Amino acid sequence: MGNHAKPVRIAALGMEQRTYSTLQLFFHGHCQDSYVLVEEKSADISIIDMDGFQAYRMLEEHKKHYPDQPSILISLSDNKAHDAVYVRKPIQLEALSSALRSAKKRLQQQPVAKISVPKISVKEVAEAKASVAKNTAKNTPKLQTADNTPNAVPPVLNDVIHRPKTVVKHAKPGSNHFNQYRYAADALTEDTDIELIDTKLAARFNPLNPVQVAKFQYQSKQTLQGYFQQAYFMALQKKRNIVLKGAWRPITILYKSKQLRVEKNFRHLYALSGMFFDKSEVSIAVLDNSVDCEPSIHETVLPAEPFLWKLSMRTSRGRVPVDTNFTAPIKLIRWPNFTRTIVTPHALRIAALWAKRPTSLVDTANYLAIPLQYVFIFYNAAVSLNFVTPEMAKKDRTTTSSPPVKRHQYRKIFQDLLDRLRNN
Amino acid sequence: MTNYKIIFTGPVGAGKTTAISSISDRPPVSTDKVATDMTRNVKKTTTVACDYGTVRLNGSDCLHLYGTPGQQRFDFMWDILTTGGIGLILLLDNTRPDPFQDMEFFLDQFQDFINQTQVAIGVTQTDLKSAPCIDDYHKHLDKQGSTIPIFEVDARKRQDVSLLIKALLFSLDPGLVENND
Ligand SMILES: Nc1nc2c(ncn2[C@@H]2O[C@H](COP(=O)(O)OP(=O)(O)OP(=O)(O)O)[C@@H](O)[C@H]2O)c(=O)[nH]1
Ligand SMILES: [Mg+2]
Repeated sequence: MGNHAKPVRIAALGMEQRTYSTLQLFFHGHCQDSYVLVEEKSADISIIDMDGFQAYRMLEEHKKHYPDQPSILISLSDNKAHDAVYVRKPIQLEALSSALRSAKKRLQQQPVAKISVPKISVKEVAEAKASVAKNTAKNTPKLQTADNTPNAVPPVLNDVIHRPKTVVKHAKPGSNHFNQYRYAADALTEDTDIELIDTKLAARFNPLNPVQVAKFQYQSKQTLQGYFQQAYFMALQKKRNIVLKGAWRPITILYKSKQLRVEKNFRHLYALSGMFFDKSEVSIAVLDNSVDCEPSIHETVLPAEPFLWKLSMRTSRGRVPVDTNFTAPIKLIRWPNFTRTIVTPHALRIAALWAKRPTSLVDTANYLAIPLQYVFIFYNAAVSLNFVTPEMAKKDRTTTSSPPVKRHQYRKIFQDLLDRLRNN
Repeated sequence: MTNYKIIFTGPVGAGKTTAISSISDRPPVSTDKVATDMTRNVKKTTTVACDYGTVRLNGSDCLHLYGTPGQQRFDFMWDILTTGGIGLILLLDNTRPDPFQDMEFFLDQFQDFINQTQVAIGVTQTDLKSAPCIDDYHKHLDKQGSTIPIFEVDARKRQDVSLLIKALLFSLDPGLVENND
């Protein structure tokens, strides 16, 4: 944490939970905590999602109560109706940073007296958050979401609370923001997650520098991804159904069909991807084969592999599990079923390369001339499903001497065809 | 002007004609006939010679899409078909009695061609019958030692067919650049 100045307090309003989590991550990681998410009443600046249910009403209310608070509006469409700063989704890192800078400038131009609430420290903010974190999903009032999904689970705070057993209530019933929370289309926030990855960060990555290595690794075993992975492969190996419990509604793994029984609103599980859970908070139980595994009316059945793939992709955020060897050649054992699973950036090229000639993570980025973090995202998802395996590194190399695969004589034709396939 | 070929093969009803139509610039020329004898109870029409579609590339180059007939008695044509081919798309129908046997059969028939180029496999009709799953296909191939892209594909969906072709192209040359991916 390199920034000791008082953080600027930001209220995130009308935000789908994953956008909220992503913002949080962005403030914490990229901005080194120079911004912090707080409640609306104690904020200096607000960021408002204009694609939410009743977003305009919420904006009007907000303007009425906090006329001097600079606001940044984010939206899928180009809406210039208000004199606020607009940032288009999917959010580009640079666009958001510059919007924040200009909002901050406006804030500094305001007379001090207008900032009515006392300044609070990061510690106070964290405490405030912890205190709202008391509500469990159980005693949270049912939220009516825009798509009429009842009982949506409110946004989860991660990063701040290290081992949360609880989910955080983001809107009070009766408040103007009561209806704001909804599940947005999947694609939106996935793009947003990836867009928010600062690809310059790994531009001069040196696999021999432990400080840099640590930055791009995470304790995968302590994430939902890690526990799920453990439970899933245990189910396949034991040929038994397994139930995974923790700070989420139980997930039942059906080994035979490689499916999951999860609550209907399973999408919030992806938002848990940024959290760490202690072993004591998670249980993995083998079910008796006689247990009835039919889904209840609150549940749905999903294919397990695409779920784990997506969860790992979300968890990665451009990082790989601890102990990943950055210079060992990676071999592709199995192509992911790409028509039915998310194609992460450059996934097809990476997969093809690793199928043809095992190549290390670092060399892959060099050879394909793509950001290292995209290689990490693909690797993280693929390794969680055992689709790839590192081979023993022959020697520690950090640079590629020659391209691992030679240029095909018909490359130009293939390139033309690729462009044609993309264009229509 | 140079011509390049992608060959689509697979058993009767796997979706070769449909896949070619979903990416061809023009409606493909097919030689479908009302099925007789062996295929009649499988489907109404079947391709008796071959399907032919095109994708125009930059300049005067043109990509030709050839579909083999699914009926095995046309196997004398296969050599002629593969000359000038850049890669093979194998479509398998998940509802057939033994799709693994189909897979082995076609991989074997095109073995020399595949060795010189690449193959990508699409498993169709998984919406009608979900088993076996893609993983099972991979397991059958593990013996062979090569890592082949195998995707669930609905031949009627351009996006699916297009992704399968992309996997084929990247397998041929991972150095290709996908702008915007
Ligand atoms: N439900 C379903 N139908 C499909 C799918 N893929 C293709 N079809 C249909 O399957 C039927 C057979 O497809 P064709 O394209 O005629 O098959 P073919 O491989 O050319 O068959 P032959 O020429 O007889 O060898 C068509 O009606 C397609 O619309 C799929 O994934 N699901
Ligand atoms: Mg046909």
